Amino acid sequence: MDIFTGLINGFSIALAGTNILFCFLGAIIGTAVGVLPGLGPAATIALLLPMTYVIGSPVTAIIMMAGIYYGAMYGGSTTSILLNLPGEAASVVTCIDGYQMAKKGRAGAALGIAAIGSFIAGTVAVVGLTFFAPPLAEFALDFGPPEYFALTTLGLLLAVTLSGGSIIKGLIILIVGLLLAMVGLDPISGKIRFTFGSIVLQGGFDFVTLAMGVFGLGEILYNLESTMKTEIVTTKIGKIFPTLKDWADSKWAIFRGSTIGFFIGIIPGGGAVISSLASYAVEKRYSKHPEEFGEGAIEGVAGPESANNAASSSSFIPLLTLGIPGNAAIAMIFAALMIQGITPGPFLVAEHPDVFWGVVASMYVGNVMLLVLNLPMVGLWVQMLRVPYGILAPIIVLFTTIGVYSVQNQVFDIYSMLFFAALGYGMRKLNFDPAPLPLAFVLGPMVEQSLRQSLLISGGDLTIFVTRPISGTLVAVFVLLIVGQTLFFLKRKWR
Amino acid sequence: MKKYERITAMVLVAGGVWVIYYAWHTLKLGSIHVPDAGLLPFLCGVGLALLGIIWLLALQLTKEEDKGAAEKRLWYRPVISLALMLIYGWAMEAVGYITSTLIFMVAWQQIIEREKWFKTMVISLLGTFAMYALFVYLLKVPVPPEFFAG
Repeated sequence: MDIFTGLINGFSIALAGTNILFCFLGAIIGTAVGVLPGLGPAATIALLLPMTYVIGSPVTAIIMMAGIYYGAMYGGSTTSILLNLPGEAASVVTCIDGYQMAKKGRAGAALGIAAIGSFIAGTVAVVGLTFFAPPLAEFALDFGPPEYFALTTLGLLLAVTLSGGSIIKGLIILIVGLLLAMVGLDPISGKIRFTFGSIVLQGGFDFVTLAMGVFGLGEILYNLESTMKTEIVTTKIGKIFPTLKDWADSKWAIFRGSTIGFFIGIIPGGGAVISSLASYAVEKRYSKHPEEFGEGAIEGVAGPESANNAASSSSFIPLLTLGIPGNAAIAMIFAALMIQGITPGPFLVAEHPDVFWGVVASMYVGNVMLLVLNLPMVGLWVQMLRVPYGILAPIIVLFTTIGVYSVQNQVFDIYSMLFFAALGYGMRKLNFDPAPLPLAFVLGPMVEQSLRQSLLISGGDLTIFVTRPISGTLVAVFVLLIVGQTLFFLKRKWR
Repeated sequence: MKKYERITAMVLVAGGVWVIYYAWHTLKLGSIHVPDAGLLPFLCGVGLALLGIIWLLALQLTKEEDKGAAEKRLWYRPVISLALMLIYGWAMEAVGYITSTLIFMVAWQQIIEREKWFKTMVISLLGTFAMYALFVYLLKVPVPPEFFAG
């Protein structure tokens, strides 16, 4: 099936009644969690994972999950601009100039350019996804166990190094994730590992309980400690549509943001947060008036908001073509696909064209929906901030508990989720970034299987990882990354 | 904070050593030609122990950061809510979904949020009803039966 035929089929799937409804639902939920501080897209998708069993159709479920992910990027800018409070991590940098614009009475222009930039970047990235993903999937068909081992290991390492936090802590979380993935039966030898005699644990931990515990409840528990109250919005929003001058100032920032976001989104571990930070740095560096940054420069809103949307769409490329989730939210979508019996990877385009093209086409539709949802309804979204956390938190707890219970109808899953919630809370208390945990948990079996299969194929010859061109290149990147990081660390210490 | 980080690092070193022993002794490493179930756990154990030691050393070499006027944080709220969730998980099967959910909501509003009784009852009843309507009535999720319903 060629790209255009695939896309036309995709639109016929995406525009079907149920799918368009769930796309809309995803966009609404995504915008809502983007607006609400303290509940990110990864946590929300984790909370909704059990719903995928009920929805039934894999295309419909993934269309909704994808809508939540990119919808959150749109919503995140609203609280950043109006309250100086990032709704989700990728909108942190939007606070700098967005809030300054709001203080000067230009909140409407900031919100408008953020939504328009997001729409353009999101659409550009989906076009890139449309044309870039199928050939990449075809290329990945040549991948064997050594290539997969090199790729997954590199992906995990990039997830740690690019997260921006402590590398030691990131690596620790990575190993903890790998160990948690090993609980249960060894897929090759059939030996039982780390079960401590428990029969229930022989099937391993369920991803849903891990994700809901660490991301959903872990975040709730951490937020419960906070004594800060959200102030009710008093900022006047003003005219939403940007002026011709605003547009002239922003157009190249949107273009650069879209490009930066698209490429960073493809890299495992990249994603929306880094792309928005990179875009802000580039805009400030190349601006003719860098002194205006931090004082309400519209490019400081347009660039990062475009970048985080482009990245959220392009991060589907490694998932749908290689089966490698690049960040925590995409790992949740990976799990949702697995729940539906679909293994993401190079065969997805050929074996499940309805899922691939349906999801891609729904992103075009979703972006249009989000533009319509965000611009005229901004006041409504802000009102959502009035819902007290004291009501929201227990409702989320009820939601997660029944959600986890519904997966296998056993209370043991609730206890596992609470164990992961305590783990997630502890991680946040000790400044560990939980993002590498689901990635390691999801990729763990692939890492182990590909390592052991590679050693079996080569008869124990470790050079198999460097003598094959693709895995050799990936290993070289891996080594360069480690050497580069070490040199950077030593240089900083010597100064 | 540094004290807790040091304790965590020590726990990680101990955990890493235990994983090494378990992988070596119980799971077996196999050979490089035919690796066994213990190979990756062994490597993970080594990594965990080493990273724990490096973290400990790094903590030794760095000074405690001055956090200035940090936001006041109420540590007991997450601890109590975790305990409430644990009891809720147990009560769900013991007394049934509706009763346990209602009790959980009342306990949360009273103990965690310290709300007035009227508001507590309104939120709890509405929350329980909404959850039941969504999951049981609309999504047809099977929930533990009510103890009091016989």
